[in-house]
Amino acid sequence: MSLEELSKFVEDGETEDAQALAEKLLKDGVNPLEMIAEMTRTMARVGDLFSKLEIFLPEIMLAGEALSGVVEVMAPYLEEVGGQEVKGKIVIGVVKGDLHEIGKNIVKLILETNGFEVKDLGYNVDPLTFIKEAEAMGADFIGASSLMTTTMPRQKEIIEILNAKGIRDQYKVVIGGAPTSQMWADQIGADLYCKDAKSAPELLTNLTQR
Amino acid sequence: MTTAYRHWEILERSQTGPFMDEDDFLPKHFTPTLKKLIKKYDIKYDPENPCPTDDAMADRIWQAAWELFRDVGYYNTDSHRLIQVTDEEIREALYMAHDQYWVGAGKDAVLWKHRQIEDMDPPFCIMSPDITCDEQYHQSICMAYLKEPLLDGICGPILEKTFGHLIESSGPSEISGCIQHITNQKLAARLLGRPGTFMVAVGTAEHDSGQIAVSDQEWGVQKSDARLVGSLTEFKTADTLLNRSLHYAQYGCFTGNLTGAIYGGWCGGSEGTAVTTVAYSLIGLVIHGAVFNQHFPFHLNYGSNTTRELLWSIAMAGQALARNSRLLHTSNGFANAGPMTEMLFRETAVHAMVSTVTGWHLWEMASTRNKYKNRATPLEARIGMEVGHAVARQGLSRAEVNDISKKLLAKYEDQAADAPIGCEYHECYDVAKAVPTQEHYDMYRRVKDEIADMGIEFPF
Repeated sequence: MSLEELSKFVEDGETEDAQALAEKLLKDGVNPLEMIAEMTRTMARVGDLFSKLEIFLPEIMLAGEALSGVVEVMAPYLEEVGGQEVKGKIVIGVVKGDLHEIGKNIVKLILETNGFEVKDLGYNVDPLTFIKEAEAMGADFIGASSLMTTTMPRQKEIIEILNAKGIRDQYKVVIGGAPTSQMWADQIGADLYCKDAKSAPELLTNLTQR
Repeated sequence: MTTAYRHWEILERSQTGPFMDEDDFLPKHFTPTLKKLIKKYDIKYDPENPCPTDDAMADRIWQAAWELFRDVGYYNTDSHRLIQVTDEEIREALYMAHDQYWVGAGKDAVLWKHRQIEDMDPPFCIMSPDITCDEQYHQSICMAYLKEPLLDGICGPILEKTFGHLIESSGPSEISGCIQHITNQKLAARLLGRPGTFMVAVGTAEHDSGQIAVSDQEWGVQKSDARLVGSLTEFKTADTLLNRSLHYAQYGCFTGNLTGAIYGGWCGGSEGTAVTTVAYSLIGLVIHGAVFNQHFPFHLNYGSNTTRELLWSIAMAGQALARNSRLLHTSNGFANAGPMTEMLFRETAVHAMVSTVTGWHLWEMASTRNKYKNRATPLEARIGMEVGHAVARQGLSRAEVNDISKKLLAKYEDQAADAPIGCEYHECYDVAKAVPTQEHYDMYRRVKDEIADMGIEFPF
């Protein structure tokens, strides 16, 4: 029984088997930081397969679920070695008037599996709710997705309210969704345009390092 | 069959059906059921044949789709309840469905009939840019599409602004934009001497209030026109959508069911995309009382449906629907490339020929992944409709279309991920006259000649 086998269970979305093996490995003395590093590599591989559609959404979702199960088992062990590094905190949602959330769900999964703490606000989210939830979480980022051109202005409203409240500099605003673009992000003053889920972790990390 | 009476039973079920947590619906209910059915019915994608000839598999896809709808139901995200239907209700709806409708009005009315596989009657041609456009081009773009001779119906471009204000879904700007949209479109039809042209309108309406605001026999969407009601990915609805289908039925216009199963998403691969697409036709008929279904299955990464994994799904779904029902269904092309590129003309031609020979009607063409403002023109739709007419009139078989489509795919498929975005409308059309520039026309003519050399006999 090894970390490679644990990777395979996670990749195949076998949550129960993955949890049982993780528990055993940790009890046998495997370093939890090594385990989390292995899990990060596994999810990067799964994410890569998904980005090429060599596997599909249900498979990556199952792998994500298995990973969450493993992280749950690892939590007390990680605490002992100083806890898991959180790369950033983000509230994410689909803007008001928009009910399409498949893209947002994929981004959420990719961020979670890459060490970000994510609060999912769902879809049809009022601009003010994004901000209140970000304040409550102590978030670094506000992620707003839009699939329709007529809901894109709601992304702008989030920034306008942040400005009106005088707290614009406390959050990085990240936008995405099919009709959005770098041009739109520039126009509304967003900090980041995310063109796809795969690039999100790196782009967000770079943003925090600016 | 627009059955207003049926809506009341459906609405009741959306309040009283079995409860399910939305987080569980797709991963624990929809996808596992779909996977089982694909296995049970031995449905297998064949990448070598984007336009397969397989009647037996078409029938199995139909059966799988029926069971998918019956066993999964349709989820209302507002009530968190499943709307479920029985075999008997599906059979009744299919029995009652008409196989033809007169749409549009007066001298411009057109008979829209169910098509069979390899049908020699040409497809019904709805032309649509599907994209958003700047306010100053809206009228011209509507005119340019309405100038197209093979157009049987039009769905105009979507307005981003109204009187200079960004349109916001569900707000007053959307109501204004929707009225402006239909006014421009109707005026364009009148000026061009085809006032009764069948219209599917208005795409500017994202919210139900926008659609309801344009129902008017004098100046708005008329009863001889159609409106669309969409689904949420996958197999989900919401009250704002059910509001539309009820309103359309009670107003008395034609209802179309708009769906795009996502390849790579909860449907999985080509097999699941084909089954889900067919099941959506049953949902449209039974849940929304739709007289036609408007399908645009698309690739999760590209946002298009002109690569072989999607063409296969379209071809098989079309064959399943044509062989097993009398329904009307349009195949909506989504291309990777943008206007005034040879790639876009080829993509549209392939989408149109595969769709036509497998029993679909045509809805062409969302260019540039339907992502960029002003990047669609009637000329790509024209080549699609001309190919559709030619394939039908000529009586081409699925095997012959399969061969031609493979030759065309070889010319563009490897560019799908990085397709050129081409030009905006005003860069390749004379905006005042609403006609293509010479350069644009020459490119269209060149690709048309190339396709003709591959064995497509254009009627003109």
